[in-house]
This record gives sequence, structure tokens and C-alpha cells, in this order.
Amino acid sequence: MSFDERGLRELIVESEDLQSDALRGLPESIDNLRDLRNDRRGESVDPSRFLAFERSRRQVLRDLGISGLAIPGLGLAGGFGAAIASALTQTMPVAAADSAIDIMILQTASSLEKLAVLTYGAALTLPFIANGNPTVKAFATTTMSQHDQHKMAFQAQTTALGGKVQDTPNPKYAPIVEAAKPTLKTPADVVALAMTLENVARDTYLSDLKQFTDKKSLMLMSSVMGVETQHLATLRAVAALLAGNAPQLIVIPVDPSKLPAAAGSVGFPDAIPTPKLASPPAEGAVQ
Amino acid sequence: MTETTNDSSNPMVTVTETGASRRGFLTISGVAGLGLLAAACGSNSTTAGPASSSSTNSSRPSGDAGIAKTAASLEVLAVGTYKAALDAATGGKLGAVPPAVATFVQTAMAHHQMALDSWNGILTSAGAQKVSTPPTDLKATVDAAFAKVTDVTGAAKLALLLEQTAADTYLVSLPLIMNKDAVTLAGALQSVDQEHSAILLYVLGQYPVPDVFQKGDKAYAGTGS
Repeated sequence: MSFDERGLRELIVESEDLQSDALRGLPESIDNLRDLRNDRRGESVDPSRFLAFERSRRQVLRDLGISGLAIPGLGLAGGFGAAIASALTQTMPVAAADSAIDIMILQTASSLEKLAVLTYGAALTLPFIANGNPTVKAFATTTMSQHDQHKMAFQAQTTALGGKVQDTPNPKYAPIVEAAKPTLKTPADVVALAMTLENVARDTYLSDLKQFTDKKSLMLMSSVMGVETQHLATLRAVAALLAGNAPQLIVIPVDPSKLPAAAGSVGFPDAIPTPKLASPPAEGAVQ
Repeated sequence: MTETTNDSSNPMVTVTETGASRRGFLTISGVAGLGLLAAACGSNSTTAGPASSSSTNSSRPSGDAGIAKTAASLEVLAVGTYKAALDAATGGKLGAVPPAVATFVQTAMAHHQMALDSWNGILTSAGAQKVSTPPTDLKATVDAAFAKVTDVTGAAKLALLLEQTAADTYLVSLPLIMNKDAVTLAGALQSVDQEHSAILLYVLGQYPVPDVFQKGDKAYAGTGS
């Protein structure tokens, strides 16, 4: 077999030139990437970017005629579709993006639970709570404990998903609670503040449910939401009894025949609650 | 965790997600099982998307339409039971009815009617029929229990069981629902049913928030038919 040795040499020179050209800008590109990494280090993750990315990914997969969930070997034994699907799943950090959203949600939930624990704890130091209505005091004590267990559950799930544990109070509402503390003069003041925190937690979790990709996290949050909403309903009833000058009816067991008619409806003002006070996933995320 | 059976005699519906709006909740394209409750409670699945064979028992078919129909049937049962309680109270069959209990029954009945309307709105917008009948098996149980009710306390205990059943059913259904608006609706109804439960517990002389985590152990395990 013969070959054109001169032509081969020219091709080798041309190839070396191409490689040289390609490498010429590499150090600068690496420096730029390094700068970009440093710039972004410590930035909070924007959940809307992840959601947009996820929508885009699913649309691409739909356009290719394949389901995003069907990628791992379900009827795509070969061919162009499988190759593209494989390339997409390998090159796009889908799991990382999904997990990042889940982790942020759990961290924000942890921050709300942490604040609730601190707030109920502070309330229990107030004389009119510590030495006041025993049922109110018992409720505050029990609820604080329940929130602490919620916090630990959210933190454990954060760790399970590979995230950092959030153990500081929610950055938005902590200053609000601090500002409110000097104004807490009566049980009704404490109940009103607690209602706000419970409402924020319930609304946040209700809003978060649809954003989860991890089913175990969703189950955890919905099971916690079911308890926060009971705290909220109870506090609404207690607030109404306090406002109606009937603190003696805040007792367990209560005589239902003595309860005002409104006690049968004040705990649930909405037939279908909407999450008006929801904190966004990034609000309490670890920075 | 609650088990359910796969009744192949049930009408079958498959559902695909078509968009984020409630109107686009369901597209009923054929037939599939209406299994509602799955093993999602203990699922370790971390995959995105709807509950599938990776996170639920494959012998337990599920789908948004099936869940919506079962949820609607439970709401029918709740509305009917509260109506029966109201009629019994009005007819003097429950003795003296405290004002708070009367208000509760009327309010809760209205809430469940709105929940029923919401699920039926979703179903009809997707081309399915409204649900107007309760789950046969559960209704038989409730009817038998209601026949023994002679006072307000008995009625409140039965109402509590219904509310806990509904709330727990929504809880365990949540991981199986694909459509995000339906997830929020189910979560909202889980929430309000838990609120009903808290007040009923209080009226019954019990602590209103007895559990640290809602457990889902009272979830309805049938298919709603």
C-alpha cells in the first residue's frame, strides 16, 4: 500500500496548527471559568431558574417524543432517541437541580420550625403564660416540642438529600418576632403572634408540596403541615375565646354546651385554604 | 401505610398531565385502574415525577382521575353524613345540641360540599362524569355506626372519624398526584379536614393536636366505588 508522504506531513502540520490555535485561548478560558466560580460561590440558588430549567428539559424530551421519566431503559433500547436522551441525562445536572430545590424547601422549613421553637420558648418565659392559664401553657409547651421534632425531621431529610442543615431562625420572620416581643403584654398578644407563625408555616408547606421532586420529602412536609394547621385552628379558637372574655372555656375537657356558636366555625375560615403567606423556597436556604 | 386492593372490575381510566391549570388537570384517554392509596408513605424514591412502579406497588394502579374520583366520593359521604346528623339533630334524635356543635356541622358540611364541587369541576373539565355516590363499602360502615348514634357526642365521634379518614386519605394520596394544582387542592383539603379534626377533638374533651406528625393510618383503602 502506497501513500503520499508529503501530503501526510502537510496534514500533520495543519493538525498541529489547529491544536495550537485551540490551546491558545485555553488558559484565558480557564481563568474566566475560575473567576465565574469564585463569583458564584456562596450565591443563593434561584429556584425559578431551576424550575425553568426543569420545564425546558421536559419540553425537550417531549419534543423528542420520549418521556423524561421513561429515559432509563424503558423502550429506548437504541437509536437516535435513546442516544439523545442518554446525552441529555448525562450532560444536564437534572438530579442536582431537583435535589437543590428540595433541599432549599427543607432548609426554609427548618428555619421556620427553629423560629417557632424559639418563639414558643420565649412566650413560656412571660409571667402571664408561665403562670397563666394552664391549658395555654401546656399547649405552648407541647407545641414547642412538636415544632422541635418537625425541625429535626426536616434537618435529617436535608442531610439525606445531601444538603447542609439549616439551624438558624428564618431570616424574614426572626426580626419580626424580635420586634414583637416587647409588645407581648397579654395571652392574646402571644396567641396572635403564634397564629401568624403557624399560618406562615402551614401556607409555606402547602405551597411547597407541588414543588417537591422527592416523594419522601413531600410526605414528610405534608404530615407536618397537617399538624401545623391543627395548631392554627386551635389558636384561632383560643383567640376567639380570649376576645370573647371566656378564658375559662380554654380548658380540657371543655363543656361543649357552654361554648359559643362561633367556636364551631372560627377555627377554619376557609373551605379551601390558599397559601397566602407562603415563604419562597430560597428564603431560609443555607447561604 | 395503608394497603389497597386492585379491583379489576372497576371502570378504568388513565390520565396524563396536560398543563398547570386546573382546567387542564386531567385528560382521560382510556381505561386504567382507580387504585388510590399506595405505599408512598414508606417510599424511599427520590425520582422526579409521579409515583410510578418505582415508588408504589405496581399491582396498585393509580392516576389523577382515580384519585379525584375517590376523593369526590369521600366528600359525597361526608356531606351526606353531616346532612343526616343535621336532620337527626333537627328532629330531636340527638338530644340537646350545643350551639357550637350545630355551627360546626353546618360549616363542615358546607366545606365538604365545596370540596366535592372542586373535584367534580376537575373531573368534568376533563370530560369525566361527576361523582355523586359515596364509596359503597365505607358508606355501609358509616351507616352502621350512625344507626347507633343517640347523642351529640356519638355524632361528633363519627364526624371525627370521617374527618380523619378524609385528611389521612389526602395525605397518603399526595405523592401519587401528578398535576400540581391537584396537589395543592388535595393539600388544602387535607389541611382543612385536619382543622375540623382539631376542633372536634377539643369539643370531645381531647387534646386538639395529639400527633407530632400526621400519620395517615386512617386513610381509606378502597377505590371509591
